[in-house]
Amino acid sequence: MIGMTDSPLKIGVIASFTAEPLRHHINQIFKQKNVTKCSVEFAPFNQIHQTCYGIETAFEQTPDVIVLLWRLEDLIDSSVTAENIKETLHNLVSAIKYLRQHFKGTIIINNIIRPWLSRHDSTSIEQKSAFLAQSENAQIFANQLIGNIDDILVLDILSLMLKIGCDKAHDLRKWYLYRQPWSEVFWSLISNQTARLITAQKRSAKKCIILDADNTLWGGVIGEDGIGGINIGNDFPGNTYRDFQKQLLILQQKGILLAIASKNNEEDVFEVLDKHDAIILKREHFVAFEINWQSKAVSIQNIAKKLNIGIDSLVFIDDNPKEIAEVQSLNPSVTCILVPDEITSLPTIFNGLDLFDNLTVTDEDLNRTSLVRSEDIRKQAEVTMTAEEFLSSLELEVAVFKADEEHLGRITQLINKTNQFNLTTLRRTADEVKTLWQSPNTLILGMNLKDRFGDYGLVGVAILKIEKETAILDTFLMSCRALGRGAEEEFLKQAINISACSKIIGNFQPTLKNQLAKDFLQSQGFHFDNSKNIYVFCK
Amino acid sequence: MPDALTTLFAEILEIDEKDINDDISPKNTSQWDSLTSMHLIAAIETTFDIYLSTKEIAKMDSIGMVRQVLKEKNVTL
Repeated sequence: MIGMTDSPLKIGVIASFTAEPLRHHINQIFKQKNVTKCSVEFAPFNQIHQTCYGIETAFEQTPDVIVLLWRLEDLIDSSVTAENIKETLHNLVSAIKYLRQHFKGTIIINNIIRPWLSRHDSTSIEQKSAFLAQSENAQIFANQLIGNIDDILVLDILSLMLKIGCDKAHDLRKWYLYRQPWSEVFWSLISNQTARLITAQKRSAKKCIILDADNTLWGGVIGEDGIGGINIGNDFPGNTYRDFQKQLLILQQKGILLAIASKNNEEDVFEVLDKHDAIILKREHFVAFEINWQSKAVSIQNIAKKLNIGIDSLVFIDDNPKEIAEVQSLNPSVTCILVPDEITSLPTIFNGLDLFDNLTVTDEDLNRTSLVRSEDIRKQAEVTMTAEEFLSSLELEVAVFKADEEHLGRITQLINKTNQFNLTTLRRTADEVKTLWQSPNTLILGMNLKDRFGDYGLVGVAILKIEKETAILDTFLMSCRALGRGAEEEFLKQAINISACSKIIGNFQPTLKNQLAKDFLQSQGFHFDNSKNIYVFCK
Repeated sequence: MPDALTTLFAEILEIDEKDINDDISPKNTSQWDSLTSMHLIAAIETTFDIYLSTKEIAKMDSIGMVRQVLKEKNVTL
């Protein structure tokens, strides 16, 4: 976590206008978030290109993060023609690409907003000025160009501006006095979003939302009102629940797991999920059900156990303050959200909460729900066999390989969210991983896992730092979804072979969550060197 | 007890509160540059919940003048 390091995070700002208000706001936000201290340094005013091409000397201290803020109207000085806009955007993107190649840290850049001062000339659609038409084209063009640059984070100031409105976002006095276009309110939103992008990179995100059913997924009580009496559909209040379900579906498609914890008769809830015309979320969208009359604190623990994920990766949503209070007191690390009294706020309940700031959506994310369900089938198979029989019936296929560039996204994701089977729990940003990957003395290995129930994709990561005949096992982790099949042993064996070293040094950094990996190295033939607190393996 | 305006200037100009006086201006104080003016205006507007026109901002060329403009706007310090 960022919060664990003591050295301040260095943010370098490159802007096409005076951007100094960012310092004050971002300092305040980091203070509130209680993460690391930060220092903010500004490149010379409106010298984006010069700064990008001279990044090595642009800042007194090399930044960890660069925030690039730009507006089209600041970059175009001559007449505004389609050609000019294209050329300006091309030049900007070339500068950013150069920066990306020569700067190792995180790069954040804003998306394009429509030039503000030009609004007066759009009097009707017929008379829509050339400039406005061009700025619309510029928007599409810029988004495409910037969207195609790898490894940069986009600061969505367009949405922020739509949220509060152009008039509130701008401050003409400051523009004409100080070449600073924006209001304090807008700076505060921008700084918040920037801080979110920075901190989200290293934080383990929430993985599962556990939902109450009555008055949370739909209005009314199924046990009393029956399937015809509950509210979900196109009219108020059913439309609010329906939109909420749509939001949940979007999250589910991004790889967030959904589960139900409801005090109800199971068949009543399933009747709604299976048969109601207006329902969005059906039975197959959920990976676990605890529909019974026991305490929800227990239900939630059961779900965590079933899905093999940590309690702190859960979000619980219920309309009953007593349930929320009970879950919160027994499982304080669960994020609890009470259904708002003003029910029209339900569909936007996640806005402003940074629970799901998972930055890279990978193919594994998209397939996760179907995978976890085949885990169910697998567990049912498990009961009737001995452990060995079960393992051999899995027809496990372990493939260990040197990581290619296309794997780095998924590898970074695993490095930052794997808690349980993780020997060292070293978190790293995408840029740090890439640097390691480029280093000649470092070997980054990935492991793909398949069995007869499903394809898990890339679920294991090993990083070995090699010095002559010795390899240091810097990172060794496996997604908990893939554990308990003997794949970790096979992975380690193959990793050692690929390294071609005669001596492997490993270490175990205990955390609150990785106890299950504690004895792993010893069980694989490493011997523990008490004096150095390391594990050593010799061929 | 220093008033709110003194505290505000002391913080932004990084000058000890007891050295803040009405004669301090951009001319005799090197750290009061145009960026500092921008921060000062933002802080004054937020602290006293007022809106300053560019004419008023132009008049504020010393702490004494800031005080006078605020007085004209019925701000109690």
